[in-house]
Amino acid sequence: MSLLTMILKMSEGLGKTCAIFFLTLLFSLPLGMIVALLRMSKVKVVSAVTRFFITVLRGTPLMLQLLAVTYGPYYLFGANVARNKLIPVVIAFSINYAAYFAEIYRGGIESIPIGQYEAAEVLGYTKLQTFMRIILPQVIKRIMPSVTNEVVTLVKDTSMAFTVSYQEMFTIGKQIANSQTSFMPFLVAGVFYYLFNAIVDYLMGRIEKRLNYYK
Amino acid sequence: MKKLFAMLLALAMVFALCACGSTASAPAAAPAEEAAPAEEAAEEAAPARTSFIMGIDPEYPPFSYLGDDGNYTGFDVEVCQAVCDSLGWELKIFGVNWDEKLVQLDSMECDCVWSGMTILDSMKEAGYVISEPYYDNTQVLVVKADSGFESSADLAGKIVAVQLGTSGEALLGGDLAELAGTFGQVLTCDSFLKCFTELEGNAADAVFVDMPVAASYVASHEGLSIIDENLGAEQYGIAFRSSDAELCAQVDAAVQALVADGTYAKIAAKEEYADIVNNLLFLSK
Repeated sequence: MSLLTMILKMSEGLGKTCAIFFLTLLFSLPLGMIVALLRMSKVKVVSAVTRFFITVLRGTPLMLQLLAVTYGPYYLFGANVARNKLIPVVIAFSINYAAYFAEIYRGGIESIPIGQYEAAEVLGYTKLQTFMRIILPQVIKRIMPSVTNEVVTLVKDTSMAFTVSYQEMFTIGKQIANSQTSFMPFLVAGVFYYLFNAIVDYLMGRIEKRLNYYK
Repeated sequence: MKKLFAMLLALAMVFALCACGSTASAPAAAPAEEAAPAEEAAEEAAPARTSFIMGIDPEYPPFSYLGDDGNYTGFDVEVCQAVCDSLGWELKIFGVNWDEKLVQLDSMECDCVWSGMTILDSMKEAGYVISEPYYDNTQVLVVKADSGFESSADLAGKIVAVQLGTSGEALLGGDLAELAGTFGQVLTCDSFLKCFTELEGNAADAVFVDMPVAASYVASHEGLSIIDENLGAEQYGIAFRSSDAELCAQVDAAVQALVADGTYAKIAAKEEYADIVNNLLFLSK
């Protein structure tokens, strides 16, 4: 198999890799905010339960969570295994990444000095207005580097979908490596991931610059 | 040019891996290689080697697997143990990553790959020394008993699961590519347990797997059946590094000695190997 066929074959799986990446971001970024707010809830039970879930999701390997979401329903309830593996894969990735994003959001929100809330109250802002117009814009600016970190990790983590037989780029690479007894596909995969992340890095850098409107 | 680059890259990787493992395995391997030119007595070369690292797939019952007592066991492991006993070697077992088994062999992490391994022409072409074949395997399709599938032709347009890195996968991409083309999708899983879970969970319609694995799984799980159609015959052997022809001959001879004195048949007669005993080539001769 020539290098070109190899690259073409693997780029077929690149679409599926992108599907995991974009769908995970689409669901986990907002979900993370909900989790962060629950985690900071004044109701003790809510924050304790949320905290427990975060420790489970951050404290167990993503690979196990993928297996649990894909095959768990079958082993527990005898339910059918999903034929379209994208569904369990995106669910597992979104839940897992939401836990990480939640902690990043929380760090950002708690870094805003209490004086700003007091000042906003004096000026007659409601709680929602204070959060949406004063706190959140500052939080987004502060957390951008940490979010970029997670997004870059997500690109590489998509390779884990092979564990539930989802035919993304790395799975196809492994199959080619096997049948051709060659290491070349792994090198190609490495280049693919690097280029993907170079683009992500560039875009996130642009967004960060855009947000620097007071400097 | 591309080939040259690929070869250089592979070479660099092999060297990198050798460098990592050299402290542990080089002293054991070096004397054996030096002894090789003095080729008359295998007996004399033997004392140089005190241990033998067997590379196995730890999840391939009944050939090699983790036993109930927490130690590796299986037909291949027991035969290898008997070989080591007869040659006075200490047996060490190394669980390889099946996808990378030959790379791990080259990097001295193990001295052989001996674990229900299918002999492929590509291995011989790559220079690996392969033992006498000892097992003739056939591939079968496992389906749900109530599915009504009776031959591979019934599976046109259906989803067939196969384990990555197994001979079944190689067959579907090679000799049986025509049959694979009639399937709706070939689903590659990274373990045979996942293949069967896909089947039982209705995400796949059949599993393409080695006969002995199919037989033992179907025996312990209800509602499955094997389609009576043998696809693609193949043989198992032991792989050694290209520089270890001597070692291969030594192991081959030791296995033949076990066949001659009945030890081999005694191991094969154990109940847990009932599924594979009929396919063992040395016993049928």
